[in-house]
Amino acid sequence: MPGRPSDSGDSLVPFSPEAVGPVTHRVHHGLRSPLFRVYVSWSRGNNLQVACIRPPPPDSETLDGTGAEGPEEEIGGKVVEVKLGNGEGEVSEAERRRIAYGSVAPFALLQSQKNLFAASSRMPNSSIRTEWWHHVLEYSNSISNLLGERKPLPSAVIEDPKMILQPGEEPKSLKAAWQLMEIFYVDKQVSSWLPECLVDWLADYDSLLTRTESTIHTKISSLQKKLDTLKVFEDDPDYWEGLSAALAVGWLDTVVKLLRLHGSYQLDQLDSREIENGLVEAVAVLVSTMPRMRPDLPPGRLGQCCKTKQEYIKAWEKWRGHVSKLESSAFWVQCSHPETRDGLRNLLQIMLGNIKNLTVATCHWMELFISHFLYIRPFTVGLEGMQNLAQKCMQLKPSSNYNGLIRLLTGIFGENPEVVLAECSKSFGSWMVVHAMELLTASSDNFGILLHEERYNLGGISIEELHRLGYAQVLSSHPLTWQIAPTYLASCPKQGLGLLEILLYRQPVQNYQLVLKTLEICRLYELENISSSIMKIAGMCHWKHGRKGSGVYWFQQAGDKVSLDRIAQQLFESIGKSVSDDSFKQWEGLIELLGSDVGTAGGLEFLHKYRDFKRSLHLALEGRAVDAARQSMQSLIQLMRNPSTPQRFWLPLLHDSVTLLNWKPQPLLNVAETNLLLNKLQELSMAKLRPDYCDTNLPPQALSSVRLALAANLGRAILEEC
Amino acid sequence: MAKEVAALEKGAACCGWSRSGERLAVGSVNGSVSIYNSSSSPSSKWKAHASGVVDVVWLPPECGDALACISGDGTLSLWEEVEEGSQPVTWKMCKLFDSSSYQILDVQFGVFSTSIKMVVAYSDCHVKIYELLDLLELDKWQLQAEFQNVTDSVSRFGRPSCLSASIAWNPQRGENQQASFVLGFNSDLPQFNSPKIWEFEEAHQRWLPVAELVLSEDEGDRVHAVAWAPNIGRPYEIIAVATCKGIAVWHIGLNPESDGRLPTEKVALLSGHDDEVWQLEWDMGGMTLASTGADDMVRLWQCNLNGVWHEQATLDCS
Repeated sequence: MPGRPSDSGDSLVPFSPEAVGPVTHRVHHGLRSPLFRVYVSWSRGNNLQVACIRPPPPDSETLDGTGAEGPEEEIGGKVVEVKLGNGEGEVSEAERRRIAYGSVAPFALLQSQKNLFAASSRMPNSSIRTEWWHHVLEYSNSISNLLGERKPLPSAVIEDPKMILQPGEEPKSLKAAWQLMEIFYVDKQVSSWLPECLVDWLADYDSLLTRTESTIHTKISSLQKKLDTLKVFEDDPDYWEGLSAALAVGWLDTVVKLLRLHGSYQLDQLDSREIENGLVEAVAVLVSTMPRMRPDLPPGRLGQCCKTKQEYIKAWEKWRGHVSKLESSAFWVQCSHPETRDGLRNLLQIMLGNIKNLTVATCHWMELFISHFLYIRPFTVGLEGMQNLAQKCMQLKPSSNYNGLIRLLTGIFGENPEVVLAECSKSFGSWMVVHAMELLTASSDNFGILLHEERYNLGGISIEELHRLGYAQVLSSHPLTWQIAPTYLASCPKQGLGLLEILLYRQPVQNYQLVLKTLEICRLYELENISSSIMKIAGMCHWKHGRKGSGVYWFQQAGDKVSLDRIAQQLFESIGKSVSDDSFKQWEGLIELLGSDVGTAGGLEFLHKYRDFKRSLHLALEGRAVDAARQSMQSLIQLMRNPSTPQRFWLPLLHDSVTLLNWKPQPLLNVAETNLLLNKLQELSMAKLRPDYCDTNLPPQALSSVRLALAANLGRAILEEC
Repeated sequence: MAKEVAALEKGAACCGWSRSGERLAVGSVNGSVSIYNSSSSPSSKWKAHASGVVDVVWLPPECGDALACISGDGTLSLWEEVEEGSQPVTWKMCKLFDSSSYQILDVQFGVFSTSIKMVVAYSDCHVKIYELLDLLELDKWQLQAEFQNVTDSVSRFGRPSCLSASIAWNPQRGENQQASFVLGFNSDLPQFNSPKIWEFEEAHQRWLPVAELVLSEDEGDRVHAVAWAPNIGRPYEIIAVATCKGIAVWHIGLNPESDGRLPTEKVALLSGHDDEVWQLEWDMGGMTLASTGADDMVRLWQCNLNGVWHEQATLDCS
């Protein structure tokens, strides 16, 4: 999809379209170069079929490949299907489909709510907006749940004191990115708790910040492993490092748990290490009562929850006072264990917001960034402030690689929705772009205007529509997901239906169920033209593959008079060539199917009458019933009178009826009727002389036998009427 | 990302996919044609021509499963897949267009509400347009028009000799859609080469050139490929033209100017294939252009938000 931002802007991570050349992928076909030709064709959605053809063998070689060649030489080329898409590497295909299906309902619901809101535009603007973000938040929560919930394992009845890291499912970048967008763009309630939201976010997703460099999460995990083997924790520098790291990013529970593992708590040592233990406990108490400005704290989590700024400032000053007091306390001199003394004082420095200690304690710039919210600038608000802070942290902790999450975050700080969308697209794929756009547009009118503005360069559509079209193409790349593409196309006001038409038109017609599905979608979106095209194509496909009944059925569904007429014509001609009972049987069903209301279908009326005639003739000849015999004679007269009966049928019709003309019990035709038939016979004899006369396959004496039978019938009829 | 779909038999020379992309026809140097139905071995194979097949083009699905094959000797044959009763599937020849004087170079089909139209390009730079009204009978093609690819029909030109022709129908389907296609040649006479858009004028029942996709400095450049992008709602059409200078992307206005010509604008010249471009192919939304060339690369081109065309990705097939 064309998803690159037009402006590299002044984002933190340079994103210059010019700097990034096209990505080159190798197509592995196993053929030796050079190739003779490469052919391509777009199949479903974003799938590209590539055929690589080897140079044809020289004339001297035979094509059956019997020469002394390797197996590769037997092959003339390879066809490869290439799926074009972008990095959603972490998510498996089945998972992606689950997410795709799951997000249809929340997306569709949000769109219909949006339409409702648009319709009720009389409402004061502000109230719409305030209510609107609730809907978006609801939507965001549904999507977020879909992306996986972090389910902590059921906690043991007796908590393991050494379990400092709660085991759970591996967090996913997709979810992390979604949460980030939600924090910044949707949840208006969090604006004053934004820093704390980011602290929570980091606690969940710290492990995703980088795959190559170390993070606090990796540090704590390796410490967790070590804890089982360590005897005396406080002698190990890793213990103190882990403590300071966890404290720096506000993982208070981990800090307190670790502190309680301190050797001075051991019962047998309490006496000799009383002071030391007192200091450890004092720090633990300070840590667990740290004021946090947030609406609530999950049960069991440490810290002191303050809901208002005033409350927080008061608590913060008091707490800081305690920290400073402990820092300057005289007990430190009496602490005999140097590692404990230094380690604890380091923790106090962190709590006092000493940038040096924080920088040492953290690994990634993002962690340092978060620690600022906790200990240095708890009231950081506004994206500009955050961006400056992030820049400062990046200078202090330069990173060699920026992954998608970090680039997304910096895009958010840069307040450039194009970069945000480009990052979403690049790192998390088109699903993310389309669904996250709803979050972006909920945040500010400016973003909405930018994303909804119709652009000539894009063919008159907005960026929002462009991305939706792109996602619909990705969905249509797979036979299991194309059916949900219409939902997204329907939300594209300009070009959605155009693409939907092409998508539907390209669906194969061999499978009955699939055709029904396609037609159902046509009906939903009122695409009569396409449904009639599909039915015509299905009709033609079945007809030509010998499934004539299905063919006629679909032509009728399509109301394709032209084709039905031609089929009627074909039947007509075919019957004209031979009226043997066998061939007629084959066509009888079709005549039935074609129905009598095909309108002007030439000859169809005749075919119906002919069928009636044949049926009664059959009955008459089998059962010798007078009624049937009369009936068929009446049919014959009607047929012969009707101007639509082609002349070339006259003789076969009469010839078929010879037995009835010679009906023993009584003559079946009266004088006038017999005269009519004789006239027709006469006309036929005359026509025989004309060059355009179409001969039938009847025996040469047919004409004379009919004439004889008619003459005999006439004689008997005259006698009868006398 | 890539998976192998089929291995082609030895001697394969050209191939073409059906409209739904599910079937592949492969023409061979010995004149045979094989059909692959999303499986690795051909489901049907028959001898279509005495000499090698140089191009295979599927007819629109409105005609059933049917194929046009151009042979190296310049003849064109139309084949359709039929089944009768319990007989196995067979491919039956419906029509053979002989090339008594000039070779047939390219053929393309357009779908209209009541008919299928076929443009056939010949090696003397003229085209014939046939129409088929009865889609059940693929042998009843009526010649509708015949003309040369020049805007000036009065002047006399020499006798051109053409190596290849490129035709692309306007893919838009619709009741009121005027039939139009773009046509370019690779010939030794410059007047014939430049791609021109021909439109059928219903009132006078004739084909008229409504636009010429060439700048004065590029006049006479040999055309290697053309592709008309599907238009799902743009206020202009997009056509890609490959010449020796690269791939040009043209915007064509929908409404004619006072002289009856459509406004055209060359918006990009994409260079990347060092050698000749073989094929141009738009995706179903008309947003991504795939090109193949003698450098054995498939290049994918897109337009960014500023309207600048760039190469988005490359598939290296060498």
